[in-house]
Amino acid sequence: MATTAAIAPFRVGLKELYLPDFSVILHRTPGLPAHNAKFTVPLWFSKLDLRDYLYHAYNVRILSVRSYVKQQRIIEGDPKNPRPQPNRWHRPRAHKHMIVELEQPFVWPEEPEDYSAWNREEVKDSEAEQKKYGELMQPMGDAVVNEERRKSMREQAKALLEGRLKWKPTTSRSVGSMLSR
Amino acid sequence: MVTMHCTSRALLTGAFGAALHRSSTLPPSFLVPCLASKQPASPFSTTTPLHARKDGNPSGGVSALRHTGPGKRQKLRSITPSQLPQPVRDPERRTSIVTDPDHGLWGFFNKERTSMPTPMDLVNHGRGWKTQELRGKDWEDLHRLWWVCVKEVNRLQTFLGEKRRVGSMYGDFEAEGRMKVIYATQNAIREVLTQRFYAWENARVAAMDDEEVNLYADPEKGEQAYVPREEPEQSEAEANEGTSLYSPPPPQGMSRGPEARI
Repeated sequence: MATTAAIAPFRVGLKELYLPDFSVILHRTPGLPAHNAKFTVPLWFSKLDLRDYLYHAYNVRILSVRSYVKQQRIIEGDPKNPRPQPNRWHRPRAHKHMIVELEQPFVWPEEPEDYSAWNREEVKDSEAEQKKYGELMQPMGDAVVNEERRKSMREQAKALLEGRLKWKPTTSRSVGSMLSR
Repeated sequence: MVTMHCTSRALLTGAFGAALHRSSTLPPSFLVPCLASKQPASPFSTTTPLHARKDGNPSGGVSALRHTGPGKRQKLRSITPSQLPQPVRDPERRTSIVTDPDHGLWGFFNKERTSMPTPMDLVNHGRGWKTQELRGKDWEDLHRLWWVCVKEVNRLQTFLGEKRRVGSMYGDFEAEGRMKVIYATQNAIREVLTQRFYAWENARVAAMDDEEVNLYADPEKGEQAYVPREEPEQSEAEANEGTSLYSPPPPQGMSRGPEARI
């Protein structure tokens, strides 16, 4: 690890902050050159704060900083809460991003070839299933068409008409048969 | 037919005459007067049209961010446009950038320096520090441990940000579990420092009422902060009567017990 220089390359502020309670997040930016890096910082952060933070905590020297605040969409209720909270409309706190020009370039490590260690395929399949059943829970849920059932019904009807199948009354006496579609 | 002035340009140049000789691209006859006449046009709207503010700035309309290039009034004296370096458009011909292994931004990644830690790596952690274990540590150690925690949180948040970009995978639960342990350590550090401050504050308040303690003593000048009074030892009953928080020191004959603070 390179040692931090005794004197910072910029004028350091007099205010000392101890035991910070915030996090600074580094993002992968394929669209930006290697000398640039993008961070998500607390909303009260300034460009000077980031320069100071990167120098003292990570020994990273920068040439310039650009910042922008991204407003969040209005949402209903708490996204972390599994229970739906209708009509609690609010706009979550905005995010502040800063794009920095580094003195030394930094290239992110390569993406893994396959995400099996993170079980990606299973999660994707489960999300697709959940989306399918979620559509039935929507207000327009009863308008959703089950194409598989339609196809099966069409085949059964065709078989009956052609005489391959003979109609039989249902023999089960359970209540469930009345409720099934 | 529109009357034409004798100095009408169309008439003099013979444009009207020339147009008649064109074969297929002849305009319809009702448009002929429009082509012939060059009368001064008056705008339909009577509102004053808006113009861009002209302040005579020599570098007006020139922007580096918007890639306009140098303007007509920009003079490149040191270099001609032909000498400017051309960008290498073929990605294979570009020089590959090698990241310095000592780059500070590696602090945002794990030891293996992979783009994302696996859930198995994330789950591979112990418990947080306890208050009892941290009480013996000095400020320097506690401060150092706090920053270790902060950097680990940054690392985890970076992982979650990358995971959000890629999408649809495990790792949330494991990262959250790891962060809970870090927060427990940070809370323990805060608790130890708070207790230390309360003890110091209590001692300071007690010392203000104490006659044997001189809070304004300057140790550099050799002044003693605690000057015990040379008096015969008080009896137990008198000591218990005292209303102040100060308790008298144990008699010299008695041996001190083991340290209360570990």
